[in-house]
Parts: sequence; C-alpha cells; structure tokens
Amino acid sequence: MKKSRLSMRARYYMEGYSFISLWLIGFLLFMAIPLGRSLYYSFQKLQVSQNGLIASFVGTDHYRAAFTTDVNFLPLLKDTMVSMLTQVPLILIFSLFCAILLNRKLVGKTFFRGIFFLPVIIASGAILSKLMDQGAANLPIFYNENLYSKLSAFIPGDLLETLLQYAESLTLVMWDSGVQILIFLAGLQTISITLYEAAKCDGATAWEGFWKITFPMIMPMMLVNTLFSIVSSFTKADNQMMTHILNVVFKTNDFGYGSAMGWIYFVIIFLILGLVFLLFRKSLSTTEGRK
Amino acid sequence: MLKESVSPARTAPLEAVSGRLKKSGGVDRIIKRSLQVVNIAFYYLVILSLTFVFLYPLLYMLSKSMMQAQDVADATVQWIPKALSFHNYSLAWRSLNFWGGFTNSAIISFGSAALQIISCSLVGYGFARYRFPGYTLCFVLLLFTFLVPPQTIVVPLYLFFSDLGWINTHLPFVVPSMFGHGLKGALFVLIFIQFYRRMPNVLEEAARIDGAGPFRTYWQIMFPLAKPAMLTVFLFSVVWHWNDNFEPNTFLTTPNFYNLSQRLAMFYGTNNQAAETMSQMTSGSIGMAPTGLNQVMAGCILTILPILILYLFVQRHFVESVERSGIAGE
Repeated sequence: MKKSRLSMRARYYMEGYSFISLWLIGFLLFMAIPLGRSLYYSFQKLQVSQNGLIASFVGTDHYRAAFTTDVNFLPLLKDTMVSMLTQVPLILIFSLFCAILLNRKLVGKTFFRGIFFLPVIIASGAILSKLMDQGAANLPIFYNENLYSKLSAFIPGDLLETLLQYAESLTLVMWDSGVQILIFLAGLQTISITLYEAAKCDGATAWEGFWKITFPMIMPMMLVNTLFSIVSSFTKADNQMMTHILNVVFKTNDFGYGSAMGWIYFVIIFLILGLVFLLFRKSLSTTEGRK
Repeated sequence: MLKESVSPARTAPLEAVSGRLKKSGGVDRIIKRSLQVVNIAFYYLVILSLTFVFLYPLLYMLSKSMMQAQDVADATVQWIPKALSFHNYSLAWRSLNFWGGFTNSAIISFGSAALQIISCSLVGYGFARYRFPGYTLCFVLLLFTFLVPPQTIVVPLYLFFSDLGWINTHLPFVVPSMFGHGLKGALFVLIFIQFYRRMPNVLEEAARIDGAGPFRTYWQIMFPLAKPAMLTVFLFSVVWHWNDNFEPNTFLTTPNFYNLSQRLAMFYGTNNQAAETMSQMTSGSIGMAPTGLNQVMAGCILTILPILILYLFVQRHFVESVERSGIAGE
C-alpha cells in the first residue's frame, strides 16, 4: 500500500517536471549559460581573431573603467535613473486614474478601452523614436501658447522649467501606460460592489471609499504595475543605455566591456526592484490581513 | 439679495413656483439632477480629451503623411492638408521595400507568437497544477528571467547564435519561443499560470476518470479552454515582436533580413537625405529645413498598418480577455 502511494507521488512529480521540462531546457540554453558566460566575459579582454575569440583575464578592469574612464556610462545611467524615478510614479497615478474612469458605466465602453490601449501598438519602438525626432511626442499645448513667458511672472524660472518639462513628458507617460491601465482595470473588476454599498450605508463618501476600499484592494496590482513599469522603463527601445551597450559591443567589438556594463546595469535594476519589494511588503501584508 | 434686485411684481410668480416645487421636494431634485448632469458631462469631457491624447500620434501621422512638401512647410496648415496626396505612401512603400520587411516581420512576429502560445501555455499549466521538489526555485527563476534586461546577455547569446550559424536567419527569434522563452516569454508563462490556477479542478478529475493521461487532459480539455489567455498572449507577443528593435538589430545584420521596424528606423525620406548631404557638402552653411517628415510619417503608417488591422479585429475580445485571463495576478 505504502509503496504504491509513493510511486503515485513519484509519477505526479514526473508529470509536473515533464510539463515544465521544455522551459527548463530553454532556461539553461537561453538564460543560465549566456548569463554565466557574460559574467565570465566581463572579467576578460576578448579579441576577435581568425581562430575566433581570444580571451585574456583582466580582473575587474572593465568594471572600474565603466565608472572611471567611460565618459558616457555614468551620465547615461543617471539619465535612465532620473527618467525612471519621474516617470514610474506618473505612470502609476495616471493609469489608475484612467482605469477608474473606464471602470464606470459609460456608453461605448469597448471603444474607449480599445483606444486607451492603442499607444501600446503605435507609440513604441521605431515609430516612437520617429515621432520624438519630429517633436510630435509632446502635445503642442505646452509650448505653442508661450506658456513659459506667461507663467514666469508667477513661478520662479527654474521651478517653472522643470514643471514644464514634467508636463511635456506627460504625453509620453500617457502613451506608456496602456498595459498598466489594463492591469488596473482587471484588478478593479475583482472588487465586489457590495463593499462600496456597505461603506455607503455607513456614510462613507466616494473619496473615502477610494482610499479605504479601492486603494488597499488594488495594492497587489500596484506592485505588479510598479515592477512592470520599472522593468519596461529600463529596457524600452528609446533607452540610451541600451544603445550605448550595443554600440560598445558591435561597433567597437569590445565584448568584455559590454558584458561588464550589462552586469552593472542588471545589478542596479535588481537592487531597485528589491527596494520596491521591501516598500510594498508592509502595505501588502496589511491587505492580506484584511482579506 | 434676490428680493432687492427683482421687482416685487415679478418675484410673486417666482415664489409661487418655488413654493410649489418645494412642496414636492422638487428644488432639491432639480439641483441634484443638474449636478448629476454636470458630473456626467465633465466625466465625458475628461474621457474624450484623454481619447484625443491617445489618438494623437495616429492622427498626427495620418495627417502629416497625406501632406505634400509645401503643406508641411506652410504654418497655416495644421491638420488638414490643402491637397490630398498619396505620393508619400508610394515613395515610402518603395523605400521601405515593404513586402520584404513585411515578410520578415510577419515570420518573426506570428511565428514566435504561435510558438509562445503553445510552449508558454504548456509550461504555465505545469506551474499552475503541479507541486514538485524544487518548485519554488523554478518559480523564482521564472520571475528572474522576466527581470534580466536583454543587454546583460546579448553578447553571449550573439556568440552562441553565431556559432550555430543562426545570425541573419529567423531562428534566434523562433527557437527560444519554442522553449517558452523569447521576448517577454516569462510574462506569458505567468499569464497562463494565473489563468489555469483559476480553472476548477473537477474538469481534470473528470477527464482523468474517463481514462485520459495527463497530456491528453491538458491538450484536449485545458488548452482549448485557455482561449482568453491565448488571445492576450498572442496580441502582446505579435505587437512586441513587431515593434522590437533591439534583438533584430543584433541578430539581423544584412538589409535583406531587416524587418519593417528596422527599415523604418533607417528611413529618413528622400528630402531629408538631400538636406543632409547638402549640409554636409557645404559644411552646414546651407542646410535645408528637413521636409521629409511627410514621407517618414507615411512610412510609420505603413509599418504599423498590419498590426493596426489585426488589432481592429481582435480589440473587442482582447480587452475582455485580459480581464478574464488574470494578467493582473492575485
């Protein structure tokens, strides 16, 4: 009896493994081995010759070079960070706002939802960079009306400039938030309407309802969206860091240095994601308790 | 204040009316009603202006692509060109070598999407329904693959594929997709995991009792049920592959193999090229204003047209299926 149960369990395990075996093989081939090799390369000087690549060990030279001798690396890193830090919160707020708008009963619901997702298709990759070349990625309202000179009487110049830059990047933020809107929308629809009804009976306003019900309930989606936005802001097509690494690797054939930069970038992203997890852990545990 | 400004003769009927309304609680209702109307009007105003922001790139491209050079330069022409011109399209069509780019894009996008649906769904099912030793480790690794930026592993992948002789073929896109990897493969596996977790267990139990093995249960019962998740994965995969520049730029290096989005990135429009060579020859003293804008925008429209058409057809089901496929997680 005992033996047969064990074999049942073994069979169950085997079934599980065979379902994911395809992915495991792929993980080894396309992720684990390349990752290991790239870590190895980052400590080597690789030179292209007739017999293929010749590697010689240089230790942490590449890592030091990235921070000391490369004039592009640190400014690009800073730019990537700044755009991530300013855009991700904006994307989150904006996409939550849109999702709440779309979650209400309205005429032409599917039409509006279709439109809100459209930029994911249009404004990405080569097309977005073409639009940005033409300055068409900013709505004309912010500079056409000579807003700067009109507002400079009220707001000090430096502050105004950053504000206007912020406002200009808003269009890009809106176009970037298609996927996040969908995720929030899906989250909003899992919230039961009875919760709001109960709150209303207790005399809660819509505003209180938002902060006491909606907000805590969609905290998990907030985490998903934050992670997704951070990852996509680090890897999207108009990210200068990506272009820089590609240039180093394929224009100057400096494979070792390219790998080292890739690793620095990777570690930084991981640290940021870890920080986000830590920040969210508290608020997530409170929602868990509430369920 | 009201009594002072309005003559007593005229206030009398007014008071009568308001008195009549007050008796039935009408004033409150009118105020409430009009507030509601204002509320709804404001709501639609907000949503319509947002719609404009989202449609703006498309409208911009459409409008500019129809313009002739003089309309682009003309400041009085904002949106509607003075004379319709499809000349830019035929020019962009030829410069992009549309069919060549389209074929490459289509093979990469649709091939990878189809393979990712099959492989990611299989793997997602395994993760959703089975607990085996090392499950947590595998799951963490899955999340990990989602977070590794492609820059980190591009060098060894390039060397790996070039050792296999796969550079300038479609294999670097298609083969990883076959194994549940490829562009954003981990995300697609996660979508399928969420979907299968929500399916009731009884379905499989019934199939098992009827004598189906695990793979038959999966293939005949569970896989066909995953249509909403499939649609989501399919559209995401096609769109992201179509617009992706990074990996094609790495693995496709001869112009014959360029996909549409790469060709578009190279495409400046003939006028721009003329302006650039002119400014180079005269070392910048005579530089024309770049007026290739209309041609470039026509190129943009041509590039996204196929997926725009695709989106038009699946859009309705897509947005619903995202909600049902559980992309949002638990």
